[in-house]
Amino acid sequence: MKISKKIIASLKEGGVDFYLSVPCKLLANMIDILEKDKDVYYSSVPREEEGMGICAGAYLGNKFPCIMMQNTGIGNSVNAIVSLLQLYQMPVVFLVSYRGTPGEPVGAQGGMAKITEDILQTLRIPMLHCSSENDLEKISTFSKHAKVIESPVAILCDFNLMKED
Amino acid sequence: MNRFDLLNKLQNILKDNLVICNIGLPSQELYKINDQPNFFYMLGSMGLSSSIGLGLSLSQNKHVISIDGDGSVLMNMNTLATIGNRAPSNYTLLIIDNGSYGSTGDQRTFTDEDTSLKAVAIGAGCKNVVECSGEETANELSKAIDDQDHSYVIISKINSGNVKIDPIPLNPITIRDRFRKFIGIVKYL
Repeated sequence: MKISKKIIASLKEGGVDFYLSVPCKLLANMIDILEKDKDVYYSSVPREEEGMGICAGAYLGNKFPCIMMQNTGIGNSVNAIVSLLQLYQMPVVFLVSYRGTPGEPVGAQGGMAKITEDILQTLRIPMLHCSSENDLEKISTFSKHAKVIESPVAILCDFNLMKED
Repeated sequence: MNRFDLLNKLQNILKDNLVICNIGLPSQELYKINDQPNFFYMLGSMGLSSSIGLGLSLSQNKHVISIDGDGSVLMNMNTLATIGNRAPSNYTLLIIDNGSYGSTGDQRTFTDEDTSLKAVAIGAGCKNVVECSGEETANELSKAIDDQDHSYVIISKINSGNVKIDPIPLNPITIRDRFRKFIGIVKYL
């Protein structure tokens, strides 16, 4: 719970006040925290691409949105990222559980893990890779940076960082 | 009645609301009929008009109308479940259902065969689902906006067919900033 609390506190400190998720086991504690938090909006959504659209609308309405999802969700969302969030220069934080990284028990998750950072690089999306607790201190500044550069950004949280939380 | 005729009839209602308009011909037609700063024209991301409008209605209090098409809703049907469970009362989804992919050459969609978007929306949890003719749409849309307590999904059944039209000359940041200025967020324009 300690890591999840720290991540949500850092996102809120960075100004993020609108949260969506397509659930993942590694995001479960963060979802619990957000469901009880009366200061911010939270909902699950069935699919990540749709979540990108809802985040775009939230940005138009003056919210600073975050979508929480597995790295597989990046693959589901490429066109929405490029032809909506990037085309209109909309800051959105992607909080990504990085399935398929060391510690992952499900072999099939390795496929998307191998290409996740390549996809984000191809999309020119700034990344913050969190593999230890110390990395979490960068989250609030990194989130604020998304607003300054008017761009989506991605925070990748390794399997081993989240699994014992 | 085709989409251009319908948008023409609805223009006096639309101009007083925040409108998210579907990519392609719907946006181009709306732009030509009566461009407004409170119209957000989609230049990409087919399927997401409903979702963008939902996020906008959850984030501020003005009424939001998402103008969508049958082809686009078929591409992003999961969002009907999100709308059914989460849409606030300042949200109306207007699906212009002409049974065809208008912007790509009027190929038939499944709503021209056996699919009923009304049944899908009800099954997805949407509470106030209205299917009506193009002629009835202005009245139904006004009622939906006037009802301060409920969100609506209106499915307007019209004929396919398009008018000859040019692409929207506005760049995306202009569309974004004048829209946010209308809401009162952007102060520098």
